[in-house]
Amino acid sequence: MKFLRIVLPILLFAFFVLLLFQSCYSVRLRSVNGAPMPDPLSTRTDYYRDMQVVELDTTIGIDLTTKDFTLLIKETDLCPTGKLHTVEYRSTLGGVLLSGITFGRKRRVRIKYVCMKPTN
Amino acid sequence: MATTKTHPKTEWDTLHNNGPFPLKSLHITELEGQGNLPSKIDRYNDAAKEIRRLIKEAHNANQGFRAYGSRWSMSSIAHQKDQMHYNGFMNIGMSLSPQDLHQNSPYNAANLFLFECGNTIKRVSEVLATHGKSLKTTGASNGQTIAGCISTGVHGSALDVGSVQDYVVGLNLIIGPDPGDIVYLERHTQPALSNAFAQKIQAKVIRNDGLFNAVLVGLGAFGFIHGVVIEAEDRFLLKRYVRKVKKQTAFDLAKTMDFKNSSFTIAGETDAQGKGKRPYHYKVFINPYPNTDECIVELIYKKPYAVPYPDPFPVIKTSIYKDLIYLLIKISEQFPKSIPWFIKRLEKTILPAVNEVSTGTLAETFWDAPYQGPAFACSVGVSHTDSPKALQVLTDMTKNEGPIPGIFAMRFIKRSKGTLSFARFPITCMLEIDGVLWKKTNSIMSLTEYSRRMIQVLQQHNIPFTIHWGKNSDWDFPGLIPHMYGNDATSWKTYRSALLSDNMQQLFSNDFLERTGLADKQQQIPPNLIASLA
Repeated sequence: MKFLRIVLPILLFAFFVLLLFQSCYSVRLRSVNGAPMPDPLSTRTDYYRDMQVVELDTTIGIDLTTKDFTLLIKETDLCPTGKLHTVEYRSTLGGVLLSGITFGRKRRVRIKYVCMKPTN
Repeated sequence: MATTKTHPKTEWDTLHNNGPFPLKSLHITELEGQGNLPSKIDRYNDAAKEIRRLIKEAHNANQGFRAYGSRWSMSSIAHQKDQMHYNGFMNIGMSLSPQDLHQNSPYNAANLFLFECGNTIKRVSEVLATHGKSLKTTGASNGQTIAGCISTGVHGSALDVGSVQDYVVGLNLIIGPDPGDIVYLERHTQPALSNAFAQKIQAKVIRNDGLFNAVLVGLGAFGFIHGVVIEAEDRFLLKRYVRKVKKQTAFDLAKTMDFKNSSFTIAGETDAQGKGKRPYHYKVFINPYPNTDECIVELIYKKPYAVPYPDPFPVIKTSIYKDLIYLLIKISEQFPKSIPWFIKRLEKTILPAVNEVSTGTLAETFWDAPYQGPAFACSVGVSHTDSPKALQVLTDMTKNEGPIPGIFAMRFIKRSKGTLSFARFPITCMLEIDGVLWKKTNSIMSLTEYSRRMIQVLQQHNIPFTIHWGKNSDWDFPGLIPHMYGNDATSWKTYRSALLSDNMQQLFSNDFLERTGLADKQQQIPPNLIASLA
């Protein structure tokens, strides 16, 4: 009886909260010009098939006096042009709450991006 | 210098998952940086040297070698079991000047451009746009590379224009490992570039209509296509309409191409007498399953370029399409009787919206087509005069022996000069069925079995036909190539044997060519067959 009255509701509540924290949506931005950086070795079967995708899933920490955060896209092997073709960011309730609780000092960053293919 | 990374592999697949196919190694070549080698011609020649080196390595290893770009073909035409070369980073593009033209060239230098093999249609369009120019036509999208397009005969539905290969006026091939194995081909009746330009790209010139037309739709069998010279035209706009019409009206237009005397007209697209104008593009969509007397047609009219025009791009794209259809097809494999019901429910997702109108450039109208999961496409070419009959017999077969998860469409293209172009009829109707790839079960036949039945049904009804080289079919069907191309197939093989050494014929062959008999070496080669005639 104790299990049914106390433990089960707690477990259900925790499960619900877990689901809520994972609830998310993503938004994709794509340039109408240029081509995405190809990845001939990729075996992806999603929207990014054949594309060289850079994925970031991290939490950044910034101090209280800093107003905003800028992620620099630099020229690398995965991004030889240093220019963006597609960006997808994912927003979760957990990420929003984390930012709120820490007054913006901790920010969850979940981004996929594809750079522009080099031209000649 | 250009560098190549070689990766050991065990398999390779097409973009639309029509494989996998076995593979030993994959080469990826990147050009020397512009900062180190600023001249485009120097970088182009540097890349040619690197390709010759790779060909030599493959030859020394007694292996085959085949280039590919965007791997959009659904047949195995792009595949080689030994060594494959990804050429997407070989994407130099350059305009040409009057000094580069042959003295008898009929072309305007401002319309001629040289593009390296790995340039996609989109990139080509972007380069042309900076010069106020446009391609004459493309396929229904823009992701294919220029070399891949012409090798397989990619087409749109431009009635009076033709396919991508039809505006190619010069071809630069690498046909072996030696410096003398770089050739530049043109028609002798329509020379484009001067010998001096050919020397700049270190190529031997052959001006010969027969050879050029054979190589034009070359199926990757004539060597490594390094560069393509195309003729562009001044940029233009396309105004696109989607309408629902009586099937009989749509089929009458398909059969006659008489838009002037048709009862169907579009307001604003008529002449002073109120007669319908001839469109640039005409396409008919047919869901084969419901017994309805209407279908959807797409008509596109060519307009002078003028700004501003309404933004043709959708603001947001969703990914619901792929996931939903893929799920439904998985269900259909077990319950194929449900396919017509599913397709009817999905019509609004699959087909363009009725009364849709958009205006844009060619590049905007046929913009990016994102990957949407495993797909199939079977496409046969018939004379437009046979198109209603061919559609009827194929629809009947699909309904009686299927169903299968796809819908039909008809597109129309002018005859091509390419010897093995599937656009063989004065106006060829490309009758295609596209859909989501399925697996054979006890209840639904396989894709190969379905495409075999397409061939058999067309033969039984005495409808002459061809098959799109880059689409799914039963390519092992006995006597298929001679049935479709007759003596032209022999002529094509003879030109190939004349241009390539025995070793290089073997090196540039693949399973597709061997199965279809197109890799056969020809022993009887007429003297001077590939002599330069201008």
